[in-house]
Amino acid sequence: MMRQASKMILGQGLPSLPTRTRAVVVGAGKPRMYHERVVDHYSNPRNVGSFDKKDPNVGTGLVGAPACGDVMKLQIRVDDESGKIVDACFKTFGCGSAIASSSVVTEWVKGKQMEEVLSIKNTEIAKHLSLPPVKLHCSMLAEDAIKAAVKDYETKRAKSNSIEEAAPVKKAADA
Amino acid sequence: MISNLIKHPLEADCSRTLILGSTKIYSRTMARLGQLARTVFRSLKHQSSFTFQLQSRRSSFYFLNTYFTKPWNYSPNSRISFTSRSYSSLTEESQSPSTIDYRSVLPEEKYHMLANSTIHDLIEKLEEYGDSVEIDGFDVDYGNEVLTLKLGNLGTYVINKQTPNRQIWMSSPLSGPSKFDWDQNAQAWIYRRTKGNLIKVLVVRLGSKCPSLDL
Repeated sequence: MMRQASKMILGQGLPSLPTRTRAVVVGAGKPRMYHERVVDHYSNPRNVGSFDKKDPNVGTGLVGAPACGDVMKLQIRVDDESGKIVDACFKTFGCGSAIASSSVVTEWVKGKQMEEVLSIKNTEIAKHLSLPPVKLHCSMLAEDAIKAAVKDYETKRAKSNSIEEAAPVKKAADA
Repeated sequence: MISNLIKHPLEADCSRTLILGSTKIYSRTMARLGQLARTVFRSLKHQSSFTFQLQSRRSSFYFLNTYFTKPWNYSPNSRISFTSRSYSSLTEESQSPSTIDYRSVLPEEKYHMLANSTIHDLIEKLEEYGDSVEIDGFDVDYGNEVLTLKLGNLGTYVINKQTPNRQIWMSSPLSGPSKFDWDQNAQAWIYRRTKGNLIKVLVVRLGSKCPSLDL
C-alpha cells in the first residue's frame, strides 16, 4: 500500500495508469478530461526528490494538510552570492492537478532570481495546465509552496547572519 | 429558582445546575437568560482561584455557550458576541478584534449548520437571479454538496465545503480560488487575505441587477 502510494507520488505510475487515464477520457456520462500537460507531468514528473533540509542553501516550503487531500513540499537550492535558484525539487501528496502544479513550479523557478519567482501567480500555473475551476486551489497551493520555500531560505539566512554577528558580541559578554 | 442559582454561582456543579435551571425556565423570556449568563460569567471571571476549575469544565461551559447561541443564526446579537468573548477570555486565548480566531473551536455540527444554510440560501437567491436575468448558458447546479454556477461566457464558479478546515472554498473565473472562514464577530464568511466577504464578493461580481443577497 505504501509502495503504491509512494509510486504514485513519484509518478512512476501503476501499471494500470494508462487504462485509467483512457477511462477518464472516454468515461460514461460527462467525461472529465485532464489536459495533456497534466497527464504528462503526472506520468513523467520533473524534479521529484528532496534536498537536505538542514543545508543552509536550501529553502523548504511545506503547505497543505492531509485532511484536505493536498500536501506539497517544495525545496529550492539557492546560490548565496547571486541569489539565483540553482535547483528545485518537490514531493506532493494529492491529485494529479496538484502534482502537475508543483512539478511545473519546480521547472519554472530553476535559474531564476528569488525575487522573480515570488511573482509567479497561480493564474499562470492554472492557465498553463488548463485546470478546471474546481482544481484552481491546487495552483494556489503551488504558489503558496514556492513563497514558503523562499521565505524559509530567507529566514535561515537571516538567522545565520545574526548568529555570525552576535557570536563575537556574545563571547565578549560571556567573558 | 433563579435567585438560588445566583446566590451560589461558585458551586462545583454550578454549570450543571445552570443548564438544568435554564431548560426549566426556557419558556420565560430570553432576556432573563441573558442576564443570568452575564451575571454568572462576570462573577466567575473575577475569581482567579477558580481558573483551574473553569478550564476543566470547558466542555460544560462550551455546551452552555452553544445552547445560548443556538436559537440565533445570523442576526448579529450583542448577547452572543458577549458570551463568546467571555468564553474565550475564560479559556485565556488572546484575540484581537481584527483577527479571526481560527482556534476558537467551530464544532463540526455548527459548521455544517452554518455552511449548509449559507449555501442553500445562495442557491435560492441565484435561482431567482437566473430567472430574472437573461444570461446565455446560465446554470445553477448543486450536487454532492458542491455548488456550480455557470455564467456561460463569463465563466464558472464552484463553491464547496471544506469540512476539515471549517472553510467554504470558492473558485472564481476572475479572482481565482479563495478560502472563507467563519468569522464569529462579523457573523459572515471572510477570506483572510483580502478580508472579502463571501456574499458581498458574489453580489459585486454578479452586478447591480442581482437581488439583495443579505441574509
